[in-house]
Amino acid sequence: MKRMDIVRDGIWRNNTIFVQLLGMCPLLGVTTSAENGLWMGLATMLVLLGSNLVVSLIRGAIPVHVRIPCYITIIAAFVTVVDMAMNAWMHETYLVLGLFIPLIVVNCAIMGRAEGFASKHGPVASAIDALSVGGGFTLALVLLGGVREFLGKGEIFGLQVIGSYPDMLMFVLPPGAFIALGMMLAGINVLNRWLEQRRAAAPETARERA
Amino acid sequence: MLDREQTRMVLALLLVAVVSTMLLATTDMFTREPIAKAQREALHRALMQVMPPHANDPQQDAFEMKRGGSRLRIYPARDERGHLLALAWEEIAPDGYSGRIRILMAVEPDGVLHAVRITDHRETPGLGDGIVTNHAWLASFRGKSLDNATWKVRKDGGDFDQFTGATISPRAVVKAVHRGLLFFREHRSELLSLSGAPDSKKAVEEGP
Repeated sequence: MKRMDIVRDGIWRNNTIFVQLLGMCPLLGVTTSAENGLWMGLATMLVLLGSNLVVSLIRGAIPVHVRIPCYITIIAAFVTVVDMAMNAWMHETYLVLGLFIPLIVVNCAIMGRAEGFASKHGPVASAIDALSVGGGFTLALVLLGGVREFLGKGEIFGLQVIGSYPDMLMFVLPPGAFIALGMMLAGINVLNRWLEQRRAAAPETARERA
Repeated sequence: MLDREQTRMVLALLLVAVVSTMLLATTDMFTREPIAKAQREALHRALMQVMPPHANDPQQDAFEMKRGGSRLRIYPARDERGHLLALAWEEIAPDGYSGRIRILMAVEPDGVLHAVRITDHRETPGLGDGIVTNHAWLASFRGKSLDNATWKVRKDGGDFDQFTGATISPRAVVKAVHRGLLFFREHRSELLSLSGAPDSKKAVEEGP
């Protein structure tokens, strides 16, 4: 697999959120603002990087029957490290994200990368995969957080974009997460279809000209 | 007996567990002090918000008192000459709209509230979280005591506003602060003597 393909798959073509619809719990829970989404995404990316690297390095040594408990232990260890580090050095953010940091351990996307990618590829490819998938996840969280923050409070990253905005509370509340995500998925499908049509149309016009 | 394959499995699991534990222990070693410091600073900021200007370090002078089945930690604020200005402690309202609301309240020696702040909550953004964002509402607690206010929200016939669309959160806060004031009145002499004498902190810690 070419490295560029890993990157493209992780960030867009096979995006954890937009395409695979995995990891919905942290997505819907913390994306009340773009900033929350960003930190949650980066924390997840860090865990993913650690677990992918370690799983890839020991992939030959783990007996196939006990691989899942091994992966879970490794992932849980990295989640706890990130949890403690954020508590120590990013206390304010830690208090906001609260329960969702330890819950990274049950994000099936991370387990999925360990089992589906890192256990079959070398450490370099696995690290690239972790950064790409984590980047795609972060992108999705920031986008959704930004959309909800903008629609709900007229702010982006805590900055008032529209003066005297009539708050649309619904988008900050849990139902708004589902509605905003649905609208974004619809938008992405339209965009992808349009791109596909354009790609299909391009050779035709070339042929016609010829 | 275990065959070779089983031994390999046990060893692999054991090794992963041991290395993970070591990683966690190391991280704990490095983060323990910064975490404690971050928590002290967060508490310091909250205390600065509820207390009148003071000359001492309330966290250093804190003492504990038995209350129900648990121990309540109480922070005294004193001026340069050691006179007590206010006592602060945390009340927990168990009956918020979504879970517990943690409230820091500071009471002056005569039983009058100095200020109230919410330190942690999970109330609905835009509705119940007015208990944090509505400064006028928080300010309405200042100067209130058991004698000069009816400790209910207006809807229930009391002196404190509820919010449009949110009665439960303010009601829970008012109830918890009221409980705190009752506790202060009941144990006033004990509280004041504990926080008054310079050596009181030691006496409590060494007590039975």
